[in-house]
Amino acid sequence: MTFINSQIWTNTIKQVLIIALIVLIAGFGSNKLRSDKIPFVEDWSAKSNLVTSSGENLEISLSEASNLFKKGEAVFIDARSRAEYDAGHVKGAKSLPYKEADLKFIEAMAGVSEESAIITYCDGETCELSMELAVFLRNAGYKNVKVLSNGWSAWKQNSLPVDNGK
Amino acid sequence: MKEEIRQKFSLFLYHGARIVLGIVFVYASYDKILHPAAFAKVIYNYRILPDELINLSAIFLPWLELIIGSLLIIGIGLPGSVFISNILLIIFFCALMYNKARGLDISCGCFSTSEGEAPESTFYLLRDLSFVVIAVYLFFKVFFISDSAGLKSPSRRTP
Repeated sequence: MTFINSQIWTNTIKQVLIIALIVLIAGFGSNKLRSDKIPFVEDWSAKSNLVTSSGENLEISLSEASNLFKKGEAVFIDARSRAEYDAGHVKGAKSLPYKEADLKFIEAMAGVSEESAIITYCDGETCELSMELAVFLRNAGYKNVKVLSNGWSAWKQNSLPVDNGK
Repeated sequence: MKEEIRQKFSLFLYHGARIVLGIVFVYASYDKILHPAAFAKVIYNYRILPDELINLSAIFLPWLELIIGSLLIIGIGLPGSVFISNILLIIFFCALMYNKARGLDISCGCFSTSEGEAPESTFYLLRDLSFVVIAVYLFFKVFFISDSAGLKSPSRRTP
């Protein structure tokens, strides 16, 4: 096996540059012309992800959430997997894993009225299960759904009441 | 006679690999070109690129895939398209490995604490690895000449 020659590298560089140019034109052009264009730079921070497509911010602060909890005015819904819920969750929270939301919805939400304050949570600042679940529940008719960002970690760190694992 | 069969097989393998990889790229680009916002979300879920680069990748990467995929299928500009395919596939593979190692479920971008809860990530990893193998094979075929194989790769046409 022998290396061809330096010519192939010159060709490669030329071709890569031509391909790059075509890609730039196609990308710019298509994104300019299409109706569902996206901005070249967008705010992808964790906070901005708690805003619905209609522009409503679903975030609830930890202090607000714990106040509602103390008054017993909110239903907490754990969007993580059942195994994670079993290992520990906000005291009295219901389990509705987002990935199985379609299947478990009726069972999990039994007895929760559409008017109740609902707080969904998962774990980690970048976890989106709680937001996805909140949108799902809003579409299902629940009017007052909020998301507690980084919920489980924040709840534990502030020594708020939990149900520990079995 | 035996040598002839060997050469034919080698040629068949080479063109097969080129076309298969091309189809993979074109197929992969199709949905992403149609839905850039959804693809941006997928990139975001990998949690690797800085925010500023997410939408730019979502806009340009699918076109890059479409173009190198088409070049691979047609069989022109091979050194360039094979070179870029290798870089892309190796980057994708590293991204998948990295996220598997830190336990990130890329389908939702969330970290799963329990091991093995995302068997699909192993599938993605193996699938990508098989593409890497094809791409590396093509790289050797295009950039090196095997002493015995009578490949007519475009590079041979250079004076």
